Amino acid sequence: MSAPTGPSTSSTLGNAKRTLPFGNGNGNDTPLLAMAAETGDVKLQNDDSDASDNDDPDDLNTRIKKKYTKDRKLGEGAYAVVNLGHRRATATESAVPVAIKKIKVNTEFRDGITMDAIREVKYLRELHHPNIIALLDVFSSKNQNLCLVLEFLDSDLEMIIRDTSQTLSMGDIKSWMLMSLRGLWWCHKSFVIHRDIKPNNLLLAANGVLKLADFGLARSFADPKRNMTHQVITRWYRPPELFYGAKHYSSSVDIFSLGLVFCELMLRTPFLAGNTDLHQLELICQWLGTPTEENWPGVSSLPGYHDAGGAQVKERGTDFFMNTFIAAGESGVELLMKMLRLDPRKRCTARAALDAKWFSQEPYPTLPANLPKKGGGKGIEKVGSDLKRKAGELFNTPDERGKKVARKLDFGGGGG
Amino acid sequence: MAANFWTSTQRAHWQLTRDKIADMRRGLDEEDTTKGLGLVYPLPDHKQLQLYFHNCLQRLARRLQLRQQPLATAETYLKRFYLKVSIRDTNPYLMLSTCVYLACKMEECPQHIRSVVNEARTLFQEFIPTDIAKLAECEFHLISELNSYLIVHHPYRTLMEVQVPLKLSPDEVMAAWSFLNDSYITDLILLYPPHTIAFTAIFLAVFVRPAIHTQANLNASGSTALNMGTAAGAGGSIVQPSVGQSVAVSAASNNPPNPSSARLSQISEWFAESGVEMEAIIECTQEMISLYDAWETWTDKVCRESVARLIRGRQLS
Repeated sequence: MSAPTGPSTSSTLGNAKRTLPFGNGNGNDTPLLAMAAETGDVKLQNDDSDASDNDDPDDLNTRIKKKYTKDRKLGEGAYAVVNLGHRRATATESAVPVAIKKIKVNTEFRDGITMDAIREVKYLRELHHPNIIALLDVFSSKNQNLCLVLEFLDSDLEMIIRDTSQTLSMGDIKSWMLMSLRGLWWCHKSFVIHRDIKPNNLLLAANGVLKLADFGLARSFADPKRNMTHQVITRWYRPPELFYGAKHYSSSVDIFSLGLVFCELMLRTPFLAGNTDLHQLELICQWLGTPTEENWPGVSSLPGYHDAGGAQVKERGTDFFMNTFIAAGESGVELLMKMLRLDPRKRCTARAALDAKWFSQEPYPTLPANLPKKGGGKGIEKVGSDLKRKAGELFNTPDERGKKVARKLDFGGGGG
Repeated sequence: MAANFWTSTQRAHWQLTRDKIADMRRGLDEEDTTKGLGLVYPLPDHKQLQLYFHNCLQRLARRLQLRQQPLATAETYLKRFYLKVSIRDTNPYLMLSTCVYLACKMEECPQHIRSVVNEARTLFQEFIPTDIAKLAECEFHLISELNSYLIVHHPYRTLMEVQVPLKLSPDEVMAAWSFLNDSYITDLILLYPPHTIAFTAIFLAVFVRPAIHTQANLNASGSTALNMGTAAGAGGSIVQPSVGQSVAVSAASNNPPNPSSARLSQISEWFAESGVEMEAIIECTQEMISLYDAWETWTDKVCRESVARLIRGRQLS
C-alpha cells in the first residue's frame, strides 16, 4: 500500500481487503456475537491505551478478531503487551482462555517490528507439536499492532522448582524431561534452534502438559560458514562454546541448557549460577571440567578461548555425577552426562536422549495430569510477568538489565 | 531452511493452482474497474510488471549487497502480497522495498531501515518517502496480508544438495542457479514445491540449455534490459546474474555446454527413478520458456511510466 497517513489509508487497505475471498466475515459474526451475548462475554475491558482498535466493524481481520475477547492485561514488555482473553464460545466449542500478545511497532528505534517478534511469529506459525506452545491465530488491528493469540498456559517449570513445599518425584522429573525433549526434538528436526531453554520458558498447561515457549531468540540452522551470534541463552544455562565466542554451533546448545534444567529439577536450585560470564565459565570448569584440546579437540582455536591456567579439572566422569545426582539413578546419570558433555559434538541429540533407557525404566514418567501443580493461584500471571524480562535475562529489576545478554539487531549481516 | 516443507505453511496455504491465481488476479482487476481505477490507471499485464518488479528488486538487492536467499524471499512476498491487494492501491516501490526489508529480517541478515530507505531512494527517488515510519507501517501491513506465514522454502538448497550425486559440472550448477533466479519472475514459487522448481532448473541447464542458448544470446544482444545492473553488481557479485548474462558469458568464453551422452543418460535415468513428477517439470519448463519469449520484447519503459503515473495520480508517495 501507499505510505499511509492516518485513517484515510487504513480505509484504502480496508477496501482492498474487502475484495479478498476471506476478508469479510459478516456471515459469521452475527451468531458469534449472539452466542457471546448469552454468556455475557461481549464487554471488552479496554484497559490499554489504544481504544480505537476495538469494535470497529470495518476493521481488518474482523472475523478472526471477533473470535476472541480481551479480559485483562497480564503484563507489558519491551515489545509486547499481553492480555488474558478467551475464545468466545461457539455452538460446538466452549470458551477457551488464551493469551493475546499485542506486538508494538518499535517506536523508539523506529526500525520496524523487532527481531524477537518476527522470530516468534515466524517459527510458531510453522512449528506444531503438543510440546510447543501453539499460536492459535494472528490478527492485526489498525493501530499498527499485530496480535498473536497464544495458547494460555498458567505456570512454568521455574515456579514448580522454586515452590519447595512440594516434593518432586523422579517420575515427575522424568515426565518433564520427556516432554521437553519431545518439544526440542521437533524444533531440531525442523532445523530450528531454540537458544533460550531455561525453566521459565518451559510452560505448563493446566492439564500438566509441558510446552516450549518464547521463540524470541530462536533461529534456523545457519548455512555452513555463515556466522551466528554467541550472545544468546540465559547465562546460567549457556554452554561453554558460547562463552568461547563460537560463531558456528548447533542444536547441541539447547541440549546443554536442558541438561542444566535436569540438574535444577533435582537440586531445586540452579546448578551453575554464575554472577558474571567469566564466573559462569569458572563454574563450568570447576563442576563439569576444564575444556582442553584433549577432551574437546579444536577448543583452543575458538575466538574467545583462553587457557584458564592453574588447576585443571578433568572432565567429570560417572563417579562425580553419581555422587552429585544419585537420585537420578545409573541410567539417569548416564543421560545427564551425555547432555552435559563439554565438547558439543559429543553431546547427544534430542532424538538419542529420547531413546535413553532412563525413560523406559521404573519409576515410569508420571502422567501429565498427575504432575505436581503450581502452588497457590499466582500462576495466572505467568505469561504476563514473563514479558517484563527480555528473553535471555535472569532478573526483572531494571538495573540488572543490560548487564545480561544483549539482544540487538546485528547489522553486520552475520546473522543473529 | 527452517521447519519442514511438507508441514510448512507454504505448502498448506501458499501453494496454489493456476486457476486460483488467475481468479485472484481477476478479482482484484474487477474491483479496480468498479472503482473506476482500471481505466484511469492502466497497467501493463502482470507478466510485464513481474519482469519490472523483478528488475527493481534485483537492483535494490545489489545495492544492499544481499545474498540470493533474502532476495528470493522478498520476491515471494511481493508476489503473495499482490495476489491479495491490488497494485493500484499501493505504491509498488515502497512495497517492494518493504518486502526486501522484511525478507532480510526473516533470513537473519537484518538491514537497518534507514539504509533500505536510502538505497531505495537512490533508485526510485521521489517515489520513496523519506520518512522511515512509512516503510515500518508498510511492513506491518505486509505481514498482515501474508497472514504472518513468513517462512519461504526455496529451490536453491535442493540444487546444492543434488549437485554432488548428479555430478553436475560447475558450469551446469551456475546455469541452473541462474534459471532459478529467473524463475522468480514467474509464478512458479506460488505453484510448485521448491524441489520441483530445482529439478526444472537442472533439467533446463543440462538438457535444454543448448536450445535456449542461441535464443537468449539473441536476447542479450537485442535488449539492454537483460544486462541491466551488471556493472552495479560488481561489488562481489553477491546477487547472481540472470541467464541472459551467464549464457552470454559462456558464449564469450567459447565454451558451450557439451555434456557427453553417457552422462546425459545417467541423469535422465536418475530423473526417471527419483519419482520426481516429470509432468510438473514439463509444465515448469514451459513456463520458463514462455518467460524468455516475453522477455525478448520486454522493455521497462511502459511499466516505469505507468507506475509513475499511478503513484503521482493517486498521490501514493
